[in-house]
Amino acid sequence: MELSSMALHSADFSWLSLLLLLLPLGAGITLMIPAVTARWVALAINLIAFIVALMIAVGFDSHLHGFQYVEKYAWIKGLNIHYFLGVDGISVLFLPSTTLLFTAVILASWNSINQLRNLYFALILILECAILGVFTSLDTMLFILFWEVSLIPLFFLISLWGVGANRRYAGVKYVLFMTAGGLALLFAFILLALGGEAGNYVFSYPELLKIAKDNPYQSVIFFLLLFGFGVKTPLFPMHTWLPVLPQEGHPASIATIVGLKLGAYGLLRFTLPMAPDAAQSFQGLMVGFGLMGVIYGSIAALNQSNIRRMLAFSSLSHVGLIVIGIATMSPQGIQGAVFQLLNFTMVAGGLFLLTGFLYQRVGSTDVVSLGGIAKTMPLLTAFFFFLALANIGVPATSSFPAELLLILSALGHYTGVGIAVLVGIILSASYTLELFRKSFLGECRHEAIIDAQDLKKREIFIVLLMCFIVLFFGLFPQLILETMEVSTQSWIGLMIKQ
Amino acid sequence: MFDMNTITPLAVALIPILPLLAALAIALGFIFNWNREEAGEKETATITISMATLSFVLTLFLSISALLNGQQGKIELGQWLASGDFLVKVSFLLDYLSLTMATLIGFIILIINRFCINYLHREAGFQRFFILLSVFHSAMLLIVLSGNAVLTFIGWELAGVSSYLLIAYSWHRETATRNAGRAFVTNRIGDAGFLLAIAFCFYWLGTVEWDEMLRAMQSKAESPLFIGIIVAGFMMAAFAKSAQFPFSPWITRALEGPTPSSAVFYGSIMVHAGVYLLLRLEPLLMQVPFLMLGILFIGAVTVIYSYLVGLVQTDIKSSFMFATLLQVGLIMIWIGLGLFTLALVHLVIHAIWRAYQFLHAPSFMQMVNRPARPVPTWLSNKEWLYTAALQRFWLDDTANWLLTRPTQALAHEAQVFDEQVIDRMTGMPSQANMLNTLASWEAHQQGRFELQSEIGIGSGLLGKTMQAIASILHWFEDNLVLKVSGDGLINGLDYLGYYIEKIDSLLSKPRYLLLLIMATFVIVL
Repeated sequence: MELSSMALHSADFSWLSLLLLLLPLGAGITLMIPAVTARWVALAINLIAFIVALMIAVGFDSHLHGFQYVEKYAWIKGLNIHYFLGVDGISVLFLPSTTLLFTAVILASWNSINQLRNLYFALILILECAILGVFTSLDTMLFILFWEVSLIPLFFLISLWGVGANRRYAGVKYVLFMTAGGLALLFAFILLALGGEAGNYVFSYPELLKIAKDNPYQSVIFFLLLFGFGVKTPLFPMHTWLPVLPQEGHPASIATIVGLKLGAYGLLRFTLPMAPDAAQSFQGLMVGFGLMGVIYGSIAALNQSNIRRMLAFSSLSHVGLIVIGIATMSPQGIQGAVFQLLNFTMVAGGLFLLTGFLYQRVGSTDVVSLGGIAKTMPLLTAFFFFLALANIGVPATSSFPAELLLILSALGHYTGVGIAVLVGIILSASYTLELFRKSFLGECRHEAIIDAQDLKKREIFIVLLMCFIVLFFGLFPQLILETMEVSTQSWIGLMIKQ
Repeated sequence: MFDMNTITPLAVALIPILPLLAALAIALGFIFNWNREEAGEKETATITISMATLSFVLTLFLSISALLNGQQGKIELGQWLASGDFLVKVSFLLDYLSLTMATLIGFIILIINRFCINYLHREAGFQRFFILLSVFHSAMLLIVLSGNAVLTFIGWELAGVSSYLLIAYSWHRETATRNAGRAFVTNRIGDAGFLLAIAFCFYWLGTVEWDEMLRAMQSKAESPLFIGIIVAGFMMAAFAKSAQFPFSPWITRALEGPTPSSAVFYGSIMVHAGVYLLLRLEPLLMQVPFLMLGILFIGAVTVIYSYLVGLVQTDIKSSFMFATLLQVGLIMIWIGLGLFTLALVHLVIHAIWRAYQFLHAPSFMQMVNRPARPVPTWLSNKEWLYTAALQRFWLDDTANWLLTRPTQALAHEAQVFDEQVIDRMTGMPSQANMLNTLASWEAHQQGRFELQSEIGIGSGLLGKTMQAIASILHWFEDNLVLKVSGDGLINGLDYLGYYIEKIDSLLSKPRYLLLLIMATFVIVL
């Protein structure tokens, strides 16, 4: 079991490197050509990336333990650092979902970006590359490289193309928070690397999985990793960058931050398996953090008057449930968590894109200046309603199987926490529908809404595709669960086995 | 002639899927502009009616074959979801209970469909109405036909969503949309109970299939307390859906939808979903007599409540609705007494009678000439009871007082907390120490306006610490370095100050600041 769970399988072609090289290449081309054609190049490159990612996902053999599509080349020989890529059942599905979300983001920014278009699309492609790198790297140093690199494009995307008055402040705040988290990660990875035999640094993730249990500094590592990823997740007290960002940033680029919850992925990938004994002893702490997020997020969301802020708090609440699921270390919890993360690239991403379309038309997403949108924009309203239902976790959307598994794991392992989570579920219906009612239904009161046009074909295409995926995996959840089943077993095997 | 073993699984799966397909087709048609406006009414109607008819015919076919050949029992079509030991099958249960209910639902909804095609002619939102009606149709069929608790829950929730859409049908009216949200959230409380029950079914009985639950219960000999908790969860869901006391108020709020379809929606179909759930749980219920007593009690309270409140209603829809609640309360009493067959018979008769009555409601107003009957004297003489009935026993107000308002207050506090405490702790730009306007700058120049501090004000824990350190350094520089060491140092510092100012002015340009941040990255990496 132990050996097979670390097995490495290579493919006949470096698919992952192709994916990671394609995007910076595209970014380079985008910078050199005229601004008008930049978006077409970005779209084309991104579509190719999506197809490659889809091929990787289809070619993935879900029956094999360990990592597939592995590529390993020496990078810094003296320190034993490698260029080391690979995916397992937990990470493989993030490749198509990320590339799809970015395709949607590029299409959504088609007309709404008028300044420095080349730079914008180039940054989007670099960001995508960094995020895919986070999902695929198997060397901790490579991981942290991608992790930190992703901040650079985000900083510029927020501060240059943001819509709020305090966008520069928001950009700096986000980057400073993330840098603080990144520093903690770096220390943790160095501590981990020193845990091997004397003079032999270990940065390879599969190697670390084997020796993690013997590291004497597990508690320190655990807390460093919990902090590092907790800032990004975000966990409760470190969430303050989250509501600010959607308010100040451009909705399309924010969709990538809120849609792709890298922090929760990091918790699942590193925090627990890298310090298994510490994770066992601090299980309650993680559940507590998660529960705080669920309750605090949903209560704070109740009182929001801005759709974007509401979505941010709602996302805090959902990610709290994911943290609880991960902390239970049960198959339902892990599968539910990964499922929910995948699902939210479409649901939260889609909702932010729709909010962006609304913003582009009306110039605001605050309840005071909305109302009666259903009259002039029935399609926008209908799509928003569908994704809002997914946000609540209604069946027939892919949120339901994910949420069901998470609630099941919470109720089974911490009954009291599970019941509190159920209260959060009731509240989620309350805040989502209340804000939907206030902003989309009722009488038209504003000129901007009366004159607004409904979704255009390009926009319909984006959201229809996202809604279709949400509906499809809501009806056939087993397709996703099967892919990650074996990897989930190995993951739990690592945690439980003494 | 037919091989029943191959046809039955296909037929039973198609029964709930067909109306859903109709809903999808209409929705896609609306998105791509095939069936909008009045021109599209005919296609919309044809799709809905044909799918509903086909589904009904299949139901009849299965019912007749069940009558001739006996009950089919459970039919499994595969896995819907599997995670660890948790397994949800795509399974349907074909017994007399489910087939009776399916036939009843299929029949009534088919009639409503036909009725509404004329009733909603030229109404804005024609297409939307038929989408939600088809989703509702599918959801109700799934509730009664499904072989396990999870699939039933899926139907249960979809019925809730379609009822939200129905109540909020005239979305520009604020009462309608408010009531829709309220009804959905009330139902959501019941749904929480349902989810709780599903989870404990899995952990304690090891299955969520209806038929296996009983077997598991017998073989595992779980204590009645565990069974009791499971049943209590289901009961909560059933009471919420069937609008039993104290969940009753949502159903009168639900009357905002277009008459009389909305009334049929609730009065004759959805209100019985909770009853069906309890009938389905018959073997489990028999294990926990003390909870049967609870059902009896809740049923009785609902009967009294709806009788008294019904007496003082002045409009036809509300009086019908309270009459409905009274009947459902009676059915609950039968269940509480263990008379399950009587409950089912009562349910069927009541559903058909109520559908007929609600569809007639608008015509009643035309046909009845005499004035409405006054409130009976025994009630109007007892002032406190009369007031209570008029106020519907303050159920809504109690819920507001107990749940809604405290939650809203909490939400407000959470926001204040977030802005005042957490945001400050982690730093927000402070406005207190800035020269915001030209006027304040002038004032500063003339000495009328003093900045609170020489070095600027930090906010939050981090900010305050930084401010403290900075002011200590400032004092150190002012009093020790500059004063002690004569002119030489001051000159040197002047030079240094000049360069620092230069660098500072460069840094104040965003691009250099960015460069610095990038450099920080490089060092960090």
